Amino acid sequence: MTIAALETEGLTKRYGRRTALSDTTMTIPAGRVVGLVGPNGAGKTTLLHLAVGLLEPTSGSISVLGDRPGSGPEALARVGFLAQESPLYSRLRIDDHLRAGAWLNPRWDADFANARIAELGLDPRQRAGTLSGGQRSQLALTMAVAKRPDLLLLDEPVAALDPLARREFLQTLMEVVAAQSVSIVLSSHLISDLERVCDYLVVLVGGRVALSGDVDEILATHHLLSGPQRDPSSLPASQTVLEASHIGKQSTLLIRTTDPILDPSWTVTPVTLDDIVLAYMKRARDGVPNAPRGLAVAS
Amino acid sequence: MIEFHLDPSSGVATYLQLVQQVRQALRLGLLEPGDRLPTAQQVVTSLAINPNTVLKAYRDLEREGLVRAKPGLGTFVVGRLPRTDPQEQSRFRRSMTEWLRKARAAGLSPDEIEAIYRTAARDALAEEDIA
Amino acid sequence: MTRFTWLQSRTQTLAVGALLAALAIALAITGIHLSHLYSDLVKPCAANGDCGLATGEFSNHYNFLQGALMFLLRVAPAIIGIFWGGPLIARELETGTYRLAWTQTVSRQRWVLTKLAGVGAMAVLAAGLLTLAITWWYRALDSLNDSMWGVFDARDVVPIGYTFFAFMAGALLGAVLRRTVPAMAASLGLLVFARIAIQQWVRPHLLSPLHQTVSLANTGFGFMVRNGGRPDLVVKAGGPRGSWVINSQLVDHSGHVAGAAERMAFVAQNCPNIGPPPLSKPNGPVPAPPGAAAAFHNCADQAARTFHVLVTYQPASRYWPFQWLELGIYILLGLAAAGLCFWWVTKRII
Repeated sequence: MTIAALETEGLTKRYGRRTALSDTTMTIPAGRVVGLVGPNGAGKTTLLHLAVGLLEPTSGSISVLGDRPGSGPEALARVGFLAQESPLYSRLRIDDHLRAGAWLNPRWDADFANARIAELGLDPRQRAGTLSGGQRSQLALTMAVAKRPDLLLLDEPVAALDPLARREFLQTLMEVVAAQSVSIVLSSHLISDLERVCDYLVVLVGGRVALSGDVDEILATHHLLSGPQRDPSSLPASQTVLEASHIGKQSTLLIRTTDPILDPSWTVTPVTLDDIVLAYMKRARDGVPNAPRGLAVAS
Repeated sequence: MIEFHLDPSSGVATYLQLVQQVRQALRLGLLEPGDRLPTAQQVVTSLAINPNTVLKAYRDLEREGLVRAKPGLGTFVVGRLPRTDPQEQSRFRRSMTEWLRKARAAGLSPDEIEAIYRTAARDALAEEDIA
Repeated sequence: MTRFTWLQSRTQTLAVGALLAALAIALAITGIHLSHLYSDLVKPCAANGDCGLATGEFSNHYNFLQGALMFLLRVAPAIIGIFWGGPLIARELETGTYRLAWTQTVSRQRWVLTKLAGVGAMAVLAAGLLTLAITWWYRALDSLNDSMWGVFDARDVVPIGYTFFAFMAGALLGAVLRRTVPAMAASLGLLVFARIAIQQWVRPHLLSPLHQTVSLANTGFGFMVRNGGRPDLVVKAGGPRGSWVINSQLVDHSGHVAGAAERMAFVAQNCPNIGPPPLSKPNGPVPAPPGAAAAFHNCADQAARTFHVLVTYQPASRYWPFQWLELGIYILLGLAAAGLCFWWVTKRII
């Protein structure tokens, strides 16, 4: 069995009265680009900070690439992190940052880092504080990638970027995936940011996992059925109704099923990932029990 | 060389869209055996999508016998898809144009015409294996 | 990590270095000049017998600089410690850069230790150079005093201790409060409190003070009325030459310290009509009533027969031992703060 990129078991994190993560159990496979999606306050940043050792769990456990997070230089070397809003030392220059990266990381790839800065058209002598938002996130990404980690975690990397910077950032990230074998987990509160790049999805709502699985499978197993008015409970057991709306004489149901839909009275249309995720987020917010972990038929 | 594009709002998985576009290109004669498909790196640069998606699409096409991956060189087209005779195509195109003209003359709006087409297409083409 | 710490503190270190260099030049020039003045004015005075005049003239030079340097050495430890220690960890927490620093391949232990040791060493070095330079500049002037006790906290080695403690306290408070400005303010408060508390309650007793009993006849004494109460007898005696008098108290013949009640009773009995002098009239001072002088002398003689003065003091010879002892205390305090800071950052800062 290959080592999972990230694994949690009953993970709970409380800040005083506020519970950020509640008894969260998940397994994120390695070698994928994983999207961590959820509304603000869902616990995404908390989960990522726990994964890099910036926080300690209140209870439960978390392991990253088989190790306890931040448990020493070896564990720290294997995980790269890009925190929210790309923290950098504003008064230091770009080349200062790269030199620091080389001093602080034994696996540092200086050729890659310098080549990236040149590709971006940045002057290495420029201070980080004078860079634009897109440039900052690119520099921060360069630093995280040049460390040559096995796992790269990114916390809302494109949230504050304009559409062009966003596209360029994701393009860079995907080029890295194509060139190196590195697992990626990136979080966002907008699924549309991540749709094109993720092949695995974890939806986090209110500190709990609402949905997790392969993106292709999620898309293949969720369908929108529209047709004459129908009571959702009358559907076959293999079809789980996630959302139902009845307007006039018509019913529209969002269902999950691994079987083909044979009932001819239904018109079946594909659903976007956005709508699927929204449906699960609504269910979680309304307190409906969560989907089982993963959607694979055999698991 | 084929240029891929992505429709994120279609609800169709990205890799399926790539597969469809290759098959479409083969049908229209834009791709011929011997042509090289873009590398994962190239597709990633132009579309900013997951490279695994590209590889998955190419694997599917390879399973269908339409392409073959040559390690170190790239992925090349090796198969063909039945192409409709261009004359057949223009024959149908003409009858469709005629139908459209009649529909407009009868007072149908473009939206109504589109709705009629979609419903009819869904029913008539539903049995076909799209991918 | 050492190189990175240098990179981060590069600007402030170079700035302080430049300031110290400029100051060193100014001190060198004026200090050498002072040496020459001393040789010219003061050295020959013993032969001529006009030392009072000569030393007065000599110590009147560079008055502004004298005051400024004293002030500088009194506040420099606080400034260096607080401005270098306060932001050390607080700024990273405040700006969020800790999320970058703690996810490099450096353990948090090594991170905090290197920062504390590296920048701390710079702060101590700066304080040391400053103290050394100013103490050197003052050596001629200081030699005119009987003892160094009056300038204890602005000479030799204790300012280095203050700086060390201020720096570590700043770092600790910065880590706990997570904000630079509150950390600086809090560590300033802590430093002021520590310096006052140690100066008042610890320094006098670093080594057991010595005692000396002197006659009231050779000592200055006077009367004081507090808050409309009865007149009280007060003394202020000097100790041996160059000593630091911690306390002087009235004792009776059996060596028992005379309390306020006892003193006031003595005054009431033996020094009647003692009160504050009348206010001067516009034409000049008011002459004393007849017999007042005789009554006063009588009172004074009686006091000298009844009481002695017990002087509690530290001799001049203990100046250097006290410097090292107080330095040691502040170093221990600083190390305690550093230890707490280390523990906080590595274990509790989640």
